[in-house]
Amino acid sequence: MASDSSNIVLYTTQTPNGVKISITLEELGLPYKVEKINISQNTQKEPWFTAINPNGRIPALTDTFTDGQTINLFESGSIMQYLVERYDTEYKISYPRGTREWFETNNWLFFQNAGVGPMQGQSNHFTRYAPEKIEYGINRYQNETRRLYGVLDKHLAKNNYAYITGDKCTIADIAHIGWVAAAAWAGIEIDEFPALKQWEERMTARPGVQKGRDVPEKHTSKESFKDPAQAEKRAAEARQWIVAGMKEDAAKSK
Amino acid sequence: MEPITSGPNPWKVVWIVEELGLPYVIESFSFEDVKQKPFTDINPNGRVPAIYDPNTDLTLWESGAIILYLIEQYDTPHKISYTTLKERHLCNQWLAFQISGQGPYFGQAAWFNVLHPEKLPSAIDRYIKELKRILGVLETSLEGREWLVGDKFTFADLAFAPWNDRIDMVLLCKPEEKFQGFPNVEAWQKRMTSRPTWLKLMEKKAVLMDEQGLQINGIPKGINSYAEYEKMIEEMHKQAKA
Repeated sequence: MASDSSNIVLYTTQTPNGVKISITLEELGLPYKVEKINISQNTQKEPWFTAINPNGRIPALTDTFTDGQTINLFESGSIMQYLVERYDTEYKISYPRGTREWFETNNWLFFQNAGVGPMQGQSNHFTRYAPEKIEYGINRYQNETRRLYGVLDKHLAKNNYAYITGDKCTIADIAHIGWVAAAAWAGIEIDEFPALKQWEERMTARPGVQKGRDVPEKHTSKESFKDPAQAEKRAAEARQWIVAGMKEDAAKSK
Repeated sequence: MEPITSGPNPWKVVWIVEELGLPYVIESFSFEDVKQKPFTDINPNGRVPAIYDPNTDLTLWESGAIILYLIEQYDTPHKISYTTLKERHLCNQWLAFQISGQGPYFGQAAWFNVLHPEKLPSAIDRYIKELKRILGVLETSLEGREWLVGDKFTFADLAFAPWNDRIDMVLLCKPEEKFQGFPNVEAWQKRMTSRPTWLKLMEKKAVLMDEQGLQINGIPKGINSYAEYEKMIEEMHKQAKA
C-alpha cells in the first residue's frame, strides 16, 4: 500500500528504540530498506549520519517526500507520527488526526518517549553498564521504571483494555513493546505487573511485531537476560564501547 | 483552559496558551499533592502539567501531547506552527527531542548535581556531560539560522526555553556563564526570552512562586546562595532520616 513516491530507508540497530520503527513499518506493510548502524563502532557519530540526525542516535529514517526531495527524520516518536500520518490511511495502527483517540495516543506515546525510555535506559546503565557500581543509582532508576510500569498496568487493568488506547494496537503500544520485553535487562520482574504481562503476550503474538523486532537481526531472547553468566558477558562487551563513547562525546563538547 | 502546574514543564504549556491568546486559569499546587488523589485521577502518572479543555471536554497530560493538541486545535492562523507536512514533522521531531532528551537529562543532572544529598561524582559527571552534549546538538543545528524549523519561532523552539532558562540552577554557575561555549544557543534563547509573552510568563511565575514561599529560581525565600541551599537540603534529609 506504499505510495509510488515512497523510498524509505531505516537506519537502525537491534535496540528497543530501533524496533519501534521496523515494527511500525511491518504493521503497515510498507516496503523499506534497512541500513544497519554499528553503534559499537560509533557509526552513528560519523558525519554522513549526523547530517541525517544531528543528535547521533538511532533510529533515523529518510524518505522521498511529496515534493520529490528527501526528508530526514529522527526521534522514534516523531518518525512513528510521520509514518502513520502519511501512510496509515486505513487507520490500522492509528486514529484520524484531530480525534480524541489521536490525542490520547499522543499522551501514551510521549509517556514512553519521555518517561519509560529514558528512565529504563538509566536503569540499564546503572544496573549493567556503569563502570562503578552505585547502589543508589540502580535503586533510583529501577524504582522509577517500576513506578511507570505500575501506571501502565493499572491503566490496562482498570479499563480492561486489550491495548493502551482501547481495542486497537497503535503506535503507543508499539513504542512500549521493545522496552517492556527487555524489562529483565533493567532488573525489572514483569510478573509484578499482571495486566502488562498479558499485554506483552498479546503484542508479541502479532505477526508485525514478530517480524519487526528481528530487524536488523534477531532479537536477544528474554531468557538470556536471566542467566547471570550470559548477561554479564553481554554487559561487559557493551560496557567497553559505551564508556569509550561517553569519553569521546565529552571531549567534543568541551 | 486550565493548565495545572509547577517545575519547568508546565511553563511550556502556559507559554503556548499565552502565545495563542487563549483564555485559561492556572491551578497551581504544592509538590506534595502531585502524586496524590484527586490529581492522579486526572493524570495517572502523577506528574504536571495536565490540562482540561471544557470546549472539547478533553483532559490531557504529558506536556508534548498537550502542546500538539493546543497547536492542532487552536493555532489555526499558524502563528507558531506550519501547515506544510514537512515543516510540521520537523517541528514534531524537535519537540520529541526536547521531551525525551533535554527534559529527562537536564532533570537527572539537576537531581544529582543539586538535590541529591550524597555527591556521586560519576553520576554527576554522566548527566552534566549529557547536558552539554545536548546543548552541542542544538548549537550545531542553529548554526547560521535563527530558529530550529524554517524562518519563524515555533512551538519546537519554545519547548526548549524553560529548561534552558534554568541551566545555571543545574550547573550551579552564574547566569551569565550558563551558555559558555554555546553562542548560537545563547543568542537563540535571548531571541525567545525577549518576547513579550515570555516576560508575562515570568511575572505570573513570580506571583505563583511567591504564594508558595519560593523565590523565582525555585529556592525558598530567605536562602541567599546555592551554598545555603545545599546546606538546607542536607538538613532536610538529616531530619527526614531522624
